Amino acid sequence: MNFATGAIVPLVLASVGALMLFSRREKSQLYFDAFVSGAKYGIETAVKLLPTLVALLCAVSMFNASGAAELLAKLLSPVLGALGIPTELATLLLVRPVSGSASSALAAELFSRISPDSYAGRCASVILGSSDTAIYIVAVYFSAVGVKKARHTLPAALTVMLVCAVLACAIVRLLM
Amino acid sequence: MLGRVFGVLCIISVICAAVTGKISELGVGVAKGASGAVTVSLGLLGAMALWNGIIRVLEAAGATKALAAIASPVLRLVFPDAYRKKHGIAEITAAVTANMLGLGNAATPLSIAAMKALAENGGEEFAKTGRATDEMVTFAVLSTASLDLIPTTLLALRTAAGSAAPDEILVPVWICSGLCAAFAIFISRAPAILEKQIQKIKRATDGKISGKTIAAAASAGAMPDNSSNGKKITQRKRLSSPGIPAREEKTAAAQPERGATP
Repeated sequence: MNFATGAIVPLVLASVGALMLFSRREKSQLYFDAFVSGAKYGIETAVKLLPTLVALLCAVSMFNASGAAELLAKLLSPVLGALGIPTELATLLLVRPVSGSASSALAAELFSRISPDSYAGRCASVILGSSDTAIYIVAVYFSAVGVKKARHTLPAALTVMLVCAVLACAIVRLLM
Repeated sequence: MLGRVFGVLCIISVICAAVTGKISELGVGVAKGASGAVTVSLGLLGAMALWNGIIRVLEAAGATKALAAIASPVLRLVFPDAYRKKHGIAEITAAVTANMLGLGNAATPLSIAAMKALAENGGEEFAKTGRATDEMVTFAVLSTASLDLIPTTLLALRTAAGSAAPDEILVPVWICSGLCAAFAIFISRAPAILEKQIQKIKRATDGKISGKTIAAAASAGAMPDNSSNGKKITQRKRLSSPGIPAREEKTAAAQPERGATP
């Protein structure tokens, strides 16, 4: 199925444009200023990400060049195969719950080898888009309020991550 | 955390390369990674700017409020204790909507505020033991599966990699996120539900002797029409078993409170 490919972006832009066109002048200016400040924030984020990305992409490239990624994929392939997850995503799945920028680095490296429009590329995209850094989130939220016994939080969060990966691949297979 | 990830990746690669004899290829990998990072980052600039700009406009136009209006009735069901105590739902809604709009910088402090409110709902028991309450667990697990309506970094990464249709993954991401969020709520509550069931079974086996006579009397009266009276029997049984009336009083007490709030 085709999800109005390429139409979502123009539609969103058009609705933002309509918002700016059909509101009072001060309001319209306010919206445009909001866009500019958001764009500035986006650029800042991308620039701020660069040093982290340099370190992580070096490590990730080294990990791939050494054959460790391949080995990991081979080790996990029986499990991943049974769950319908492409083996190329083995490293990404392990890093995803730990760090957001590291998983971005892994995705960037993955997309340079395989097309983001391939099956594995789409699976990686949907997994990345619908999951979050589980371990980091639980650690930050709980330590902020002084939780000493997290109970089943972490196992539950990691199970959700795994289910999310399986679901993401199934959705890509069924719908795209 | 990042330091650990970096360290693990580097050390494993060197060991692995030493074993497989690929050590000479590592240097090439490192050089490729460093220059690749700049290419990726530059590729991200445009798309990140565009999407974050759009999100700010939507936010200025009241998208946060609109999303909150949709999300808060659902969140009331997911966090009944916070709703009953009238403390925390506003914070949870703010955190969830910030996450939905991908306002990373705003979402974390808001989520911590929500967690603090839930911790206060935990009362003295939480303060004493530091044992996360059911709703705290649910909120944490739900946050790890939170819906991101416009995943900016992902869209930018796909654009930078030359995808023919960077936005084609949006609908699948929404579907997947929604299902994951539902599963997250279920699994975070599963132990509590299981505990309740076990207690129920225990109570049933404890009350077997006294319950038997009541059940026998009830079934004797229910003989002619068991489809409609079957429910009544269980109801009668429930009322007669110890512990349950207390819970029913509680829900009855919660009812008018619910009706009172608009």
